Amino acid sequence: MSSENESKLGEFESVVKDGAVDLLNKIEVGDFSGAIKVIQELSDARHKSFYNEVGCLTRSLHDAIRDFQIDSVDMMVKSGVSDVEAGSRITDASDRLNYVIEMTSSAANKTMDMVDSSVPVASELQSQARELHKDWNRLIQRDLTPQEFRDLYKRIDAFLKYTDESATTLHNNLNTILLEQGYQDLTGQVITRVNELIRDVEERLVHLVSVAGRVDSISGIEHESENKERDDDRGHGPAINKNDNPEVLNNQDEVDDLLSSLGF
Amino acid sequence: MKILIVDDFSTMRRIIKNLLRDLGFTNTVEADDGTTALPILQTGTIDFLVTDWNMPGMTGIELLRAVRADEKLKTIPVLMVTAEAKRDQIIAAAQAGVNGYVVKPFTAVALKEKIEKIFERIDSAK
Repeated sequence: MSSENESKLGEFESVVKDGAVDLLNKIEVGDFSGAIKVIQELSDARHKSFYNEVGCLTRSLHDAIRDFQIDSVDMMVKSGVSDVEAGSRITDASDRLNYVIEMTSSAANKTMDMVDSSVPVASELQSQARELHKDWNRLIQRDLTPQEFRDLYKRIDAFLKYTDESATTLHNNLNTILLEQGYQDLTGQVITRVNELIRDVEERLVHLVSVAGRVDSISGIEHESENKERDDDRGHGPAINKNDNPEVLNNQDEVDDLLSSLGF
Repeated sequence: MKILIVDDFSTMRRIIKNLLRDLGFTNTVEADDGTTALPILQTGTIDFLVTDWNMPGMTGIELLRAVRADEKLKTIPVLMVTAEAKRDQIIAAAQAGVNGYVVKPFTAVALKEKIEKIFERIDSAK
């Protein structure tokens, strides 16, 4: 379809070229009424091509909207669709990404819950072991009274029981942390699908831009290309493909080097 | 020593809070961007500010500038913990008077090192 449109545009260009030669010839020989007629013909050809291209743009836009099932009031009225629930692929993608945010946040929080509940257990084991170790050394040096010895006897028994229980707790917590990492699989799948959609959307947008470009060339509209860089102050978020961008530092060491070169 | 942690993601606030607790700083408060952080700072009870850069509302760099521009707050040490790693941004943060800059993802060691360095410098300046 696009090659057909391109040939139409080519047709218009050759009409303009031929018309220009014709116009010059007519002016040279003093045939002004003929010249005006050529101008009129050129203007008509321009209008015709313009309408063709706008029509083509509208069709492409319509196709793109239909393909992505974007909710459009106009389209729903026309096709009699009342089921707003269906949603568009874009809305769907947005929902999917929200799901990723929820999943990652929940996994991070659960993991931190497990860490929070494990740290005191490990600390308690450590402090009890240190206390026992002190008295154990005194036992080795035969420095304990019989009462202290009986006491140590009981404490070791309690410690062994506590160690057993603690190991079970830590083991369970570690297992929970392990299972929580399953989010990576699920979110990975979701992101892969959203990625496909984005590539698809980009492809179609590029097509739309090329069709719109033909309308611009006939109508003589020129767009000021705004190449606005995102403001540093607002932040850019994590840098992807850092190695490709010399303006982005790769790690803490590079940041430290830069800061120390600034006298930090 | 009361520390204000500013980050729009609660997970990151929690990570920083836990790491600070391991370093012995148990008195922390949280805010989710500069706009909510400033009123907390203005109560005059905060001794140390740890902030992200990229946040909705008021960003970390704007917060840093606001702190440095405020006669009562300007001496508070500020540590930036952020994913922003553009050369110009780090220079801008340094010019705005940041005391330390940690890029995400970071390690507990890196955070500890920067915090200790900041306190060392404050102590030696006394």
